[in-house]
Amino acid sequence: MNMLTTAMVPTVLATGDPARVDAKIAPKFKAGDRVTVVNLNKVEHNRLPAYIRGKVGTVTFDHGVFVFPDTSAHRKGPKPQHVYTVVFTARELWGEAGHPQDRMYVDAWDDYLEPAS
Amino acid sequence: MKHGNHTHANVLIPEVGLRVKALESLLAEKKAIDPAALDLIVETFETQMGPKNGAKVVAKAWTDPDYRKWLLEDGTAAIKSLGYIGVQGENMVALENTPKVHNVVVCTLCSCYPWPTLGLPPIWFKSAPYRARVVIEPRSVLKEFGLDIADDVEVRVWDSTAELRYLVLPMRPAGTENMGERELAALVTRDSMIGTGLAQSPSR
Amino acid sequence: MNGIHDVGGRHGFGPVVVEENEPYFHEEWEGRMLAMMIACFAAGIYNVDQFRHPIEKMDPRHYLMSSYYEKWLCTVEQNCIDAGIVTREEVDARHAQLMRGKAA
Repeated sequence: MNMLTTAMVPTVLATGDPARVDAKIAPKFKAGDRVTVVNLNKVEHNRLPAYIRGKVGTVTFDHGVFVFPDTSAHRKGPKPQHVYTVVFTARELWGEAGHPQDRMYVDAWDDYLEPAS
Repeated sequence: MKHGNHTHANVLIPEVGLRVKALESLLAEKKAIDPAALDLIVETFETQMGPKNGAKVVAKAWTDPDYRKWLLEDGTAAIKSLGYIGVQGENMVALENTPKVHNVVVCTLCSCYPWPTLGLPPIWFKSAPYRARVVIEPRSVLKEFGLDIADDVEVRVWDSTAELRYLVLPMRPAGTENMGERELAALVTRDSMIGTGLAQSPSR
Repeated sequence: MNGIHDVGGRHGFGPVVVEENEPYFHEEWEGRMLAMMIACFAAGIYNVDQFRHPIEKMDPRHYLMSSYYEKWLCTVEQNCIDAGIVTREEVDARHAQLMRGKAA
């Protein structure tokens, strides 16, 4: 245990918890790819909201390599992988309840996505 | 088989402030934490972390086209150059509002929010009504905030599910052509950088 | 997990209630809780993912009814217990002692 002292406070606040990992890992997807969100229903920690499960979207940006929360939360290691922003139309997510002009942008890890068929 | 009526069970922690005190005192005794460091953290948040920081980023983007371009291409680097990268704001993305696109940010799963640029989030941002509704009915939520979005404008809702933190770059209000960065920053509200508001007009 | 925290798209939560000029902390203990969370993180007791998960595992009724920083207390306390730094019994005892002291 590394007790936080007052002297260390400014550095800790300025640094935070950089989740970005400096590792050369090939991305599974690129901007423009259509993807289907995995039907994830595991009990373990994850950052995949239910409302995008099984939905089809388009990758807009590859943010690079980050720690994977699903393993990190359970002390199973960082399993670093790419994080993308994926755009979904409101109609895709909500059917008729979605406004035809609107879009939802959600960040997803490689493991949350499959190529859309 | 369990008996009893659970509908009136009190699920909340009694005297929760005293339990916080209990935990703090135990952790201090075991040298896991230093209460003086906690004092400094509270003071730093109350005096240094707040939307005034984000407002400076926005005002600079409004007045300096090169900075605006940099901010939109590499939010982390551009915001870091002003000293506003840090805890819960390590990786930043700026979202440009235009006459045709209105951006609004949420964290449906918890409360992720860019602390170094906006400070600590208000209770409404962290609460179920906003988190549940803004992804499915953004226009009615924005209307509650006084924003009427036209049908031909695209609303983009950004759900901060990963460690990217989003800062909306609101449109510069009309009639501000002769204002300097400091005056402009005073027009940039916290809500305009979340997307639940617009920057203020100078006539206010 | 398919927890109660995953509220995106749910109906029935009502209007967004805004408090004007809201302070960061409505009571002093909330500020202490924020700071304690950061100090324990800096001490290596948990990372941000380990911090989030116990909140997701709260009893759904407790999750929905509790204030924001009460949720933080639950996860910081749980993480400190899991790390072997304190026991539930110790926290219960100290809490009870403080409550008795206040009632006195």
